[in-house]
Amino acid sequence: MRQISIILLLLAAISARSQQRISGTVTDQKGTTVISANIYFEGSYDGTISDADGHFVLQTDLTGDQLLTVSFLGYETYSCLLHLDGSDTVLNIVMSEKLSELDEVTITAGLFSASDKKKSATLSSFDIASTASAMGDIYGAYATMPGSQKVGEQGMLFVRGGDSYETKTYMDGMLVQSPFFAKMPDIPTRGRYSPLLFSETVFSTGGYSAEFGQALSSVVDLTTNGLETENKASLSLMTVGGSASVGRRWENSSLAFSGLYTNSTLHNLLFKQNVDWIKHPDMADGTLMYRKKVGETGLLKAFASYNYNSMEMNYDNFEAGTLDRIALTNHTFYTHVSYSGELGTKWLIKTGLAYNRDLEDMHYMGNPILTTRSASQAKVVLTHLTSDKVKIRIGSDVLLEQYGQDITMDSTFRMDLDDLQPSVFLESDLKLSKNLAFRVGLRAEHSSLLGTAELSPRVAAAYKTGTNSQVSLAWGKYHQTPEFDLMKMAPGLSAERADHYILNFQYRKNRRIFRAEAYVKQYNHLVKYLDPYDPDPANYNNKGAGHAGGLDVFWRDQASVNGLDYWISYSFLDTRRDYKDFPEYAVPSYASAHNLSLVFKYFFTRISTFGGLTYSYASPRPYDDRNSSGFMTGRTPSYHDMSMNLTYVTTLFRKQFIIHMNITNLLGFNNVFGYTYSNAPGEDGTYASKAIVPTVGRQAVLVFLISL
Amino acid sequence: MKKLIITLSIFALTLPVAAQQSQYQSAMLGLIETLDKASTPEEYTQCANRFERIAVAEKSLWLPFYYASYSLIVMSFEEEDGAKKDLILDRAQELLDTALELEPDESELHVLQAFLYPSRILVDPMSRGMQYMELIYSSLARAKALNPENPRIYFLEGVNKANLPPSMGGGPDVAGPILKEAVAKFESFTHDDPLWPDWGEEAARSELDKLQ
Repeated sequence: MRQISIILLLLAAISARSQQRISGTVTDQKGTTVISANIYFEGSYDGTISDADGHFVLQTDLTGDQLLTVSFLGYETYSCLLHLDGSDTVLNIVMSEKLSELDEVTITAGLFSASDKKKSATLSSFDIASTASAMGDIYGAYATMPGSQKVGEQGMLFVRGGDSYETKTYMDGMLVQSPFFAKMPDIPTRGRYSPLLFSETVFSTGGYSAEFGQALSSVVDLTTNGLETENKASLSLMTVGGSASVGRRWENSSLAFSGLYTNSTLHNLLFKQNVDWIKHPDMADGTLMYRKKVGETGLLKAFASYNYNSMEMNYDNFEAGTLDRIALTNHTFYTHVSYSGELGTKWLIKTGLAYNRDLEDMHYMGNPILTTRSASQAKVVLTHLTSDKVKIRIGSDVLLEQYGQDITMDSTFRMDLDDLQPSVFLESDLKLSKNLAFRVGLRAEHSSLLGTAELSPRVAAAYKTGTNSQVSLAWGKYHQTPEFDLMKMAPGLSAERADHYILNFQYRKNRRIFRAEAYVKQYNHLVKYLDPYDPDPANYNNKGAGHAGGLDVFWRDQASVNGLDYWISYSFLDTRRDYKDFPEYAVPSYASAHNLSLVFKYFFTRISTFGGLTYSYASPRPYDDRNSSGFMTGRTPSYHDMSMNLTYVTTLFRKQFIIHMNITNLLGFNNVFGYTYSNAPGEDGTYASKAIVPTVGRQAVLVFLISL
Repeated sequence: MKKLIITLSIFALTLPVAAQQSQYQSAMLGLIETLDKASTPEEYTQCANRFERIAVAEKSLWLPFYYASYSLIVMSFEEEDGAKKDLILDRAQELLDTALELEPDESELHVLQAFLYPSRILVDPMSRGMQYMELIYSSLARAKALNPENPRIYFLEGVNKANLPPSMGGGPDVAGPILKEAVAKFESFTHDDPLWPDWGEEAARSELDKLQ
């Protein structure tokens, strides 16, 4: 019995431990009290929370070295080792806020990010696909963003006084050499790739990172979709063709295929064309995407796409007074394989291989002009996560661009050009505090064709001026090799150059965003020549220059009215340049001083219909009036467009069914993009002129889609 | 006497383990009861905090992480401010991810994932709707493959369908049979573990009543 008593006493002694009192306050770095923080010893169930004054009292019977943990939403979890010896302890705990995308300072100068990530979306791929005036074209949607100019007869991006060749497109970090379909004179083209292939697109109107070379004005950076979420298939039928897509998902990999064929014969018969078509445009496209998870963090992406388009027309060559028959067939193959993942805990790697081949077969009045362009690229970027505050990126790529042209006109000409461009860049992101960040970068690239190397330094900074607002600054030098069409004439040319200076203000709260950006851009070493068809290299030089300055304003509101999403963008541009065959400094024909876009989207819940409406305005553009003594003195009428789309979603036979209609130029504005003049004056001594007008007035496209 | 001493010694030896077991059981049971009664953000935060303490102490058990995450998800539905809602859901997702690392093939965890996504949608239905709908369905499909008898799968599926317009594959005609199946599965569902999740039955019945 005594033994039992001893055992019981021992047991009692074990359980009767002394209580110790830990008390204190919890605040954040700014001294603000943190309310309801979770305070406990790791391994123990007991704990407490901080009260309305940030105070807490924690009673514990633990002894020895114990880990005290304090956690709270949006803060880094705080831990400290306490030696518990029975005496009361008072602690002042300072928690640091988690740097989340939401309130962290980020460099926004020049950048329009379109992302499906749950935060920081300015435009998602769905937004792009549903912008009425864009007709499903990525570049068309970005034409509603400030900084871009409406140039109706081109269809490419003209950014902040820059010509279309100054914009480059990247996909998963790799250069896309020919992102647009081959183009006929005065007929707008569009991007080859569907916005639905991308989870994230970034449109940068200047001041971009040292990772991107070549582009003088702008970069469009596309990130292809990750793993497919599930097995799916769909079929669609359009007034201009049809498409099919299939996606398969396995545990760690997925495969997606999409194919499209369009033919505008029927469409062009329904909507009166201002073009004398011999063969109506048609195009085919096939895209294959394979994704595989590698280990915990790695993702391997393979992308391959083949594109074809073809058309033939009688081109009214008003200058020469002839009707020129032009046939065009274009085949493009683009593929890349990329891998991104972690290398240990401190390094990230992004690497890729890409190959692009573009074959343009043109027959100009029966004379064949065969142009082939190809680009092969290998690239690797390593990111070192030095600390929470410092990130260093180092990267290198080798790009081989090849150009070949065969012309048979009177006699046969063959031109071949190769350009091997190795480059390296080093860039560092420094976050001095939650409110202040810097990015400093340097890019060095060499061109075998130019025989020179260029250094491009780039600097950006951002400062948070309030909870929802911030100011960014950016400066950078940008170089670009003149286009092959010029290099083939004069191989001695050197790189063109632009300097960007950007000041940006951004305010964002909930789902409203306001941005205003002022910029100045200085161009140097632009290529000049006397006559665009002059084969004498002596007539080409790099003595051109130019400048552009302006203000871009953007407002988007998704919060005020339930179901309504709208944005307004306005750009003011003042630009002049002396390049190509300009006799003097002048406003180029693609530049308009004022551009305005209003984009509305509304979901009619009752009728399951999604509606979109856009209105675009551009002030008059200059053209060279041959009947006036000055250069570029003519002004076109201003440009107006109103477009709309309606998407009705329904279920038939347990399948999702979508009907989509898109109407452009709803109000039938008669836009004029410029004038061409006869080369020879008429009897009265004046030059006759002809307006360059859109290929079609009002037009509509109807799409039926079924998900299988 | 000797026997008693041996018994007591065994008792004393196993006591810490047994005590710990029962401490876990009783703490969890008490807390689940508190959670059932919770209605204010403070009460949900309190529950999440306490589940989190148990989770951190136990480390290898997925249920405390599950309940900590569940408390936050329920709380997030009440939060009006989109940014705060995302903050709460970020934490809920972290806790759920930890649970999924411990038990990747637990049907209940995939159900919880499907329960989290609708709250994400509410932050920005226009741009998130389509993407997260797909994720909800793939999580439910995963949960169903792992345990087709889990009634919460049918409950969430039914509620989702009931809130979708008929034109998008939802509506009462579609949702009704699924919710009926959910109620039937709730009636037959039993589990040995008293701590096993048991939410949804009452809500499934009331959703079904609303349709009829």
